[in-house]
Amino acid sequence: MATDQHARSVDARAIDRPDVDVKEPIDWGKVAFKVGFGLVLVLFTILFLYPLVWLFFASVKPGSEVFSGNLLPSVWRWDNYPRLIEQQPVLQWAWNSALVTVLASVTVTISSALVAFAFAYFRFPFRGVVFGIVLASMMLPGAVTMIPNYLIWDFLGFNNTLVPLWAGNLFASPFYIFMLRQFFLGLPRELFDAAKVDGANYLRMWWSVAVPLTRAALVVVFIFELKVAWTDLVRPLIFLRDIATFTLPRGLKAIIDNPSIGGEKHFELLAVGGILITVPMIIVFFLGQRYFIEGIATTGSTGR
Amino acid sequence: MTRWSRLVPLLAIVMLVLAACGPSGESSSAAASEPGGSQPAGSEPAASGSGGEGTGGMNATGELFAYGFGYETGDIIAKTRVDVFNEQYSDVDVTFSESGFEDQGFLTALASGDAPDVVNLPRNSIGTYIARGVLQPLTDCMDQAGLDPNVFYEGARNQVTVDGEMYALPEFFNTRVWIINNAAFEEANLDPESVDFSDWDAIAQANEALVKNDGGLTRIGIDPKLPEFLAMWVRAAGGQVISDDGMESLLDTPEVAEAVDFGKSLIDANGGINEFSDFRNTWDFFGENNQVAADQIGAWPMEQWYLNVLAQNSPDAEITVKPFVDRDGNTLTLQDGNAWAITTDTDNPEAACAFITTMVAKDTWVAAAQARADEREADGLPNTGVYTANSEADDVIFNDIVDLSDYPSLQEAVQVVLDGQETAFGFPPSPAGAEFQQALTDAVNRVLSGEADAQQAMADADAEAQDAIDAAAR
Amino acid sequence: MATMVQGKEVRIVGGVPWTPNTKRETLWALVFLSPWIVGLLIFTAGPMLWSLYLSFTDYDPLRPDITFIGLDNYVSMLGDRRVSTSLFNTAFYTVFHVPLSMGIALFLALLLNRIGGKMAGFFRTAFYLPNVTPAVAIGTLFLLLLNGSNGLVNQALGVIGIDGPSWLVDPAWIKPGIILMSLWTVGNTVIIYFAAIRNVPVELYEAARIDGAGGWSQFRNITLPMISGALFFTLIINTIASLQMFSEVYTIFFGQQQGQSAGAGEAALFYVIYLFRNAFEFFKMGYASALAWVLFVVILIITVIQVRGSRRFVYYEGE
Repeated sequence: MATDQHARSVDARAIDRPDVDVKEPIDWGKVAFKVGFGLVLVLFTILFLYPLVWLFFASVKPGSEVFSGNLLPSVWRWDNYPRLIEQQPVLQWAWNSALVTVLASVTVTISSALVAFAFAYFRFPFRGVVFGIVLASMMLPGAVTMIPNYLIWDFLGFNNTLVPLWAGNLFASPFYIFMLRQFFLGLPRELFDAAKVDGANYLRMWWSVAVPLTRAALVVVFIFELKVAWTDLVRPLIFLRDIATFTLPRGLKAIIDNPSIGGEKHFELLAVGGILITVPMIIVFFLGQRYFIEGIATTGSTGR
Repeated sequence: MTRWSRLVPLLAIVMLVLAACGPSGESSSAAASEPGGSQPAGSEPAASGSGGEGTGGMNATGELFAYGFGYETGDIIAKTRVDVFNEQYSDVDVTFSESGFEDQGFLTALASGDAPDVVNLPRNSIGTYIARGVLQPLTDCMDQAGLDPNVFYEGARNQVTVDGEMYALPEFFNTRVWIINNAAFEEANLDPESVDFSDWDAIAQANEALVKNDGGLTRIGIDPKLPEFLAMWVRAAGGQVISDDGMESLLDTPEVAEAVDFGKSLIDANGGINEFSDFRNTWDFFGENNQVAADQIGAWPMEQWYLNVLAQNSPDAEITVKPFVDRDGNTLTLQDGNAWAITTDTDNPEAACAFITTMVAKDTWVAAAQARADEREADGLPNTGVYTANSEADDVIFNDIVDLSDYPSLQEAVQVVLDGQETAFGFPPSPAGAEFQQALTDAVNRVLSGEADAQQAMADADAEAQDAIDAAAR
Repeated sequence: MATMVQGKEVRIVGGVPWTPNTKRETLWALVFLSPWIVGLLIFTAGPMLWSLYLSFTDYDPLRPDITFIGLDNYVSMLGDRRVSTSLFNTAFYTVFHVPLSMGIALFLALLLNRIGGKMAGFFRTAFYLPNVTPAVAIGTLFLLLLNGSNGLVNQALGVIGIDGPSWLVDPAWIKPGIILMSLWTVGNTVIIYFAAIRNVPVELYEAARIDGAGGWSQFRNITLPMISGALFFTLIINTIASLQMFSEVYTIFFGQQQGQSAGAGEAALFYVIYLFRNAFEFFKMGYASALAWVLFVVILIITVIQVRGSRRFVYYEGE
């Protein structure tokens, strides 16, 4: 993996600056460009990292310092972490969240990839119109369909269970259908014709040709949905009543909603919760992003 | 294909997890729907050995779902009260939503096949639900429980009474008082005791004397807290923003325009709303370096719970607490808080009645206040008590439990708060409370930012609010 | 209609010549589409039609009776000041947010594409971070950054001699402040562009290099056309999302903020926020449904225009 990555990045650099030559004298324009490039990079990185850093320090501060002007705590309160975990069934919540998130992401990736492939590859009557319906189903604000939707799940007997939090994803999501369709459309049609000659049926063609070649996009879908499901608060709020079924955001919401008398909200514990929610996402993203770099251009099996 | 193969193990793991989780997901949801599966660990009553009906006065059994309240995530005041109920009614099993009240969540819960039996909701929005027939009248329930409606402060009672019937039992009682930063007053050569807060000219003069500007606002003189506290200023001017029955908007009255104009003049003397708000947003409101400790405010009317924040975070910053008064010097304050109600959808009205009457009963409050006092003592912190809407409970709490003899200034402050309880008023039960507040807030904000003049803006808001009330009252 | 395929006259159905091959592909398409079709029938179509019906009623979810009132809701919208205000606010936001976010995301994706070696993963993760950082932290941070008196943004403007505005209070500056804030969570778009850029065949650049094309020319003639599908996708999606902007603004300006109200009032009233308040705070579900359907039609029209307008610029290798 590492060598592939390296090879690809060397490639990219060579392409972007085609006239680099080691023996050339120092080109001050290029040095300035490099310095500028580095500065921009550092600037953006600080901008993007700062809130997380702030959140982390807030999670180890005494409660009264969370919103003070100082970034660093005056006393490091590491015990905020065990405090939150002992007070509330946080680990149970995290487990529920993980379960819902994995199920939601796996189902939506597979189902959306199936549906998207149909729109990208098959030629069938009224394809444009049907695809228009996919887009249109994203255009009505969710606020007005929320109650009917809730009643359907209630009618199916899934109220107060984790099922409504992910099972809707079995039926694909318009956003991902659209996104994956764009990537499938980028695949040369000859690839599929070749597979057809080999006698593959369409399902096999989808699984062994289309899916592998768009894995970067599929990983993107998977990661996007991980984030959406992991941080979802609206559905857990209306579907979950029992504290044992709560997800992490739902549990944190319960803590925010029940401050002590006297307005003392434990913001430092909320910050701990925020870190507990964020860090797993960062790890997953860090692991997943390696797959982004494997575009079809480097697979070597595209028949080019 | 080789790199693709690396994804396969990942997918395989995902599938395994999926397969492994399936059954456990089932079991956790089964436990949730099974009665008793959701019973909070701490709610097992100590006296359940007898298996009898408990010590409660009513005959109540079965299950309850309470929306808008937290037990597991609640503080000692919440937990103790629920424990008291569980002890008295060991045959009733209560589940809590473990979330604050939200219109959206309550609405969907009502729509489900298993609607909440009881609800804890803000008194300010209760009229909306009474007008729509969601809540039960409580006269019978209170008779049964032997609960005298007159134990509740009048201001709170009025908020939950429509056509002579009470639809909810008031819980907490938050009032407002003037909080004065002694250091700022001293620097401005003002005496906190002698500034007359019934005289609006005196307030304006104090404001100008207290403002501090070093190339930018560094201390607000007096913050009128608009639009939030407009109703209180209007009362002080002798008017009202809305009629007592909540059916008639009175926003288009001279007292309202006068109060808005006065508030705007205070803010303008601090440099105008932009600078004023920006500066206020920099305060460390809940921290050690709050606006009093940092000398960033002269005086402002504020909810009484903030006294606790100050006592805990900046005990050395000296403050004076004075009652909010009308122009004749009579104590006058705006109050709010939550209330307990029974939904018309409940299938267990007996237990619901037993629950809500127990939650606001004197003995329950006293037990909770005692538990909190013990907790405070163990932490070595002053205990400033719990302000309930039950005047009998308050009597016991503040006479027998709260002891602030070591903290004279806090003791004085608590007394000021208590002195205002009887005359405190609240937002009446209007069928369109939220729309009324929207009209009021938007209009005041337009005036403060200079987009409209007070009279015109409030007249527009009045028409808008009245339309909303009429439409909702059908 | 009919056309000639391999010497035979064939009917045209739904824009496709109806041959045995088409028949087979249609059948297979149905198989592939089945998850979506089932979901559409159970969870989407019903609620959508229900809300369309409600838009012609005075439905209040807490009252049992529903009265059909014809077009009354739509007529009242015309006289509702908050509808025009919120439509303007939403349009203002969309017009600035969509192109700016796409431009910045493309810039960042190109930046990421230049980074190789061990740090690459770190930077990619860093650029995505705002998307996974809880909204509370982001909201708080922005209240600090955009504060008119001591916020970093205005301090920076002060350095170059500009007296910065009251981003969070002044009705004229609240929307620009919100747009600034929105640009910060472009991570999703960056990732989509980045994945698309990585999909561009290296051979194309090699060929261009041989032809002596410079960096800009390569970007203009290879990168841009090759990622046009992703650009098109994000244009459509970001526009729809912008027109439905809700959570971030609701949290900061309409929720409880550390016990102090930001109180932006109408300057931050976005269309879906007003819709949400009507549905769940004022219980005017009928009116809210009418608001929703008007927005639906507006988005539909804008999307159709975008789809038609983009047709010339979007390049699909497979087509």
